[in-house]
Amino acid sequence: MALEEFKASQPLTMGVELELQLVSFSDYDLTASSPDLLHLLGRKPFPGNVTPEITESMIEINTDVHTKHSELLAQLQLIRDTLVTAGEKLNVGIAGGGTHPFQKWVERRIFAKPRFKEVSALYGYLAKQFTIFGQHVHIGCASGDDALYLLHSLSRYVPHFIALSASSPFVQGGDTLFNSARLNSVFAFPMSGRAPFLLSWDEFEHSFFSKMEHTGVIKSMKDFYWDIRPKPEYGTIELRVCDTPLTVERAAALACYLQALCAYLLERREAAPEEDDYLVYNYNRFQACRFGLDGTVVHPKTYESLSLREDILTTLRRMDPYAEKLGGTAALNHLMQVTHVGSDAQYLRDQFAATGSVEGVVDAAVRRFRGA
Amino acid sequence: MPDILVISAELAWPLAILLAWLAGEFVHRWSGLPRISVYGLVGFLLAQGFPQLFATDSSSPVTLLANLAFGLILFEFGYRINLHWLRINPWILVSGLVESIATFGAVYFISNMSGMPVLTSLLLASLAMSTSPAGVLRVINEGRSSGQVTERVLHLVAINSVLAVFVFKVIVGFWVFQTSGSLPQAVSHSFIELIASALLGVVAGALLPAILRHLGNLARDGTIAFALVVVLLVAITHAADLSPVLATLTFGLTARHNRVTFSRTQRNFGAIGEVLTVLLFVFAVSTLDWDRVVTGAWLGMILLMARFAVKTLAVGAFSHVSGTPWRKGFASGVALSPMSVFVILLLEQTKNMGIVLVDELAALAAMTLFMEVLGPIITQRALTWAREIHKEES
Repeated sequence: MALEEFKASQPLTMGVELELQLVSFSDYDLTASSPDLLHLLGRKPFPGNVTPEITESMIEINTDVHTKHSELLAQLQLIRDTLVTAGEKLNVGIAGGGTHPFQKWVERRIFAKPRFKEVSALYGYLAKQFTIFGQHVHIGCASGDDALYLLHSLSRYVPHFIALSASSPFVQGGDTLFNSARLNSVFAFPMSGRAPFLLSWDEFEHSFFSKMEHTGVIKSMKDFYWDIRPKPEYGTIELRVCDTPLTVERAAALACYLQALCAYLLERREAAPEEDDYLVYNYNRFQACRFGLDGTVVHPKTYESLSLREDILTTLRRMDPYAEKLGGTAALNHLMQVTHVGSDAQYLRDQFAATGSVEGVVDAAVRRFRGA
Repeated sequence: MPDILVISAELAWPLAILLAWLAGEFVHRWSGLPRISVYGLVGFLLAQGFPQLFATDSSSPVTLLANLAFGLILFEFGYRINLHWLRINPWILVSGLVESIATFGAVYFISNMSGMPVLTSLLLASLAMSTSPAGVLRVINEGRSSGQVTERVLHLVAINSVLAVFVFKVIVGFWVFQTSGSLPQAVSHSFIELIASALLGVVAGALLPAILRHLGNLARDGTIAFALVVVLLVAITHAADLSPVLATLTFGLTARHNRVTFSRTQRNFGAIGEVLTVLLFVFAVSTLDWDRVVTGAWLGMILLMARFAVKTLAVGAFSHVSGTPWRKGFASGVALSPMSVFVILLLEQTKNMGIVLVDELAALAAMTLFMEVLGPIITQRALTWAREIHKEES
């Protein structure tokens, strides 16, 4: 099928998707409870949207389209409360975090949906290793060209989102020393990474997508696992590098930071993106995954080495006027705090030190999501 | 030259366990049936074939090991129970109470109608309330089952087992009172035993996590510590004529709710737990006698069908209100079928008191044998029907 037309949407509108963990209160391992939870949630109107994910131990929620931080946050909190109440009725804990600290991929069950079964058949254990939990943020774009312009301009800021959202230090029972180990699982997929450097939607459609389709390697945009990808059917770009944070407050703040950045980039005051920006892209992304806020990144234009924490702080300050206009000042203040007190990855490591076990880490994550 | 009979008596149990394990593996691979159903069947056939070799009394090492195996299973069982859930979703507790009481009523009524004495009927009814925690937990772990039916079955079994122990002990107390005429003796045999056993478990469950916490990272895996305390509890209850069932179950429950430190417990307590489980299931039915099974077969079958129907309907009735689809609610009721090991160990205990109830309860022997073999299969099928048993994707 040909690539659908890019459906123009109101610029700078935003929507959030969160993949969440379903945890057993018996042993704090993941539990294949999404059918049960979806059944119970189906009895009443849900304040957003909730869907099954590839394995039965996760669910995905998404918000409506928003323009303001306060509205987005209010809806996310309502969704959280609804989920937590339903979970409690079924003895299921709900938690954020990019990975489950000790689940064994061997034990995961694939949700009985044809597409998921296909993915499982094609990717083997990678599909089960994909029991990882991310936050996706959509930002509305007026045109396909704008979407591609934003997509490539944002590449320089991708490490910010990785470091600020990082919440996956533990995998298979051990500390990986990464702040975001989740992204390592994503990179294993052949269609992951960055989008090709094209700034015209027409060109993207005809010289890239249709050729790729012709190779038989992909069928639709869904087959690309890029860090940022255009979503023509929604008229958005989708940022996919964030771990699911431990709280919905952080999820809302990250979305509003992206919104402010896009507002700033659309003014086209920064030097236009180029293919050469990607020379340092993988290195910067690695630094953010491995060291989080303590990482060091290389500026793609000046090749200057920057402390990631400092770079984030500088950018947050530069975004202030844009956030103010969009009603997102509180969101940036929240992220300012993160640079001082540390990310969710740090919080989880502290919990491990305090409780002495990975089960204690999951328990802390469940409580934190609940807002306790 | 040693006597061949002596040698075979020495080797009987180890060989029986090995044979049961092999048969279990073979049948499970070939048909997917639960291994424990096969263990029971092998145990029963061997015990009928060589009655002298497999005769045990309450102080034999095999009986003690079986009690230990059951203790480990009950601890793990208790460790998976979340009392907070019963508070938040009281319908789970209500359905547990209703299905237990209804089962008691139905079994008592049928047994009494069939001409059994009142006390015998009461004993039958109290034992029929219980679902075997061992059977259920083994099927759940074997199939790596997870979901709402799994959670509910675990909690319902905890409720009906505790109720069954409680009611059974009270009735045995009255039995003692009737035969000995001494009320203090009767009371001491029931209430004091129940309270002391539970207290023992609670104290252990409060102390151990605190000790583990002081050990810090040494205690990342709590399996060994928990297993050792279970061994200790089984030994104490055995020596003091208390209830190992209650002590180990409350130990698991308290340890879980007091876990200031979160330590992982290996499912089934690892390989040694597996070995002990084979022994437990072989041992349990080896105590049954074929003649008694035949005598009680008809009544046993009718009682089982009544029990099955009552449990399924009583639990299923609360599906919607407790937040699960009808299909899963009824599946939870169906999965409560197993009732073997638990009953036998309770009865074994009463032998110490000089009450040989097994002889009185031919129908129970039949029920136990059927459910030893069929119960786990029904539970497995119910969990599969609810789509909670893990099937390997081909």
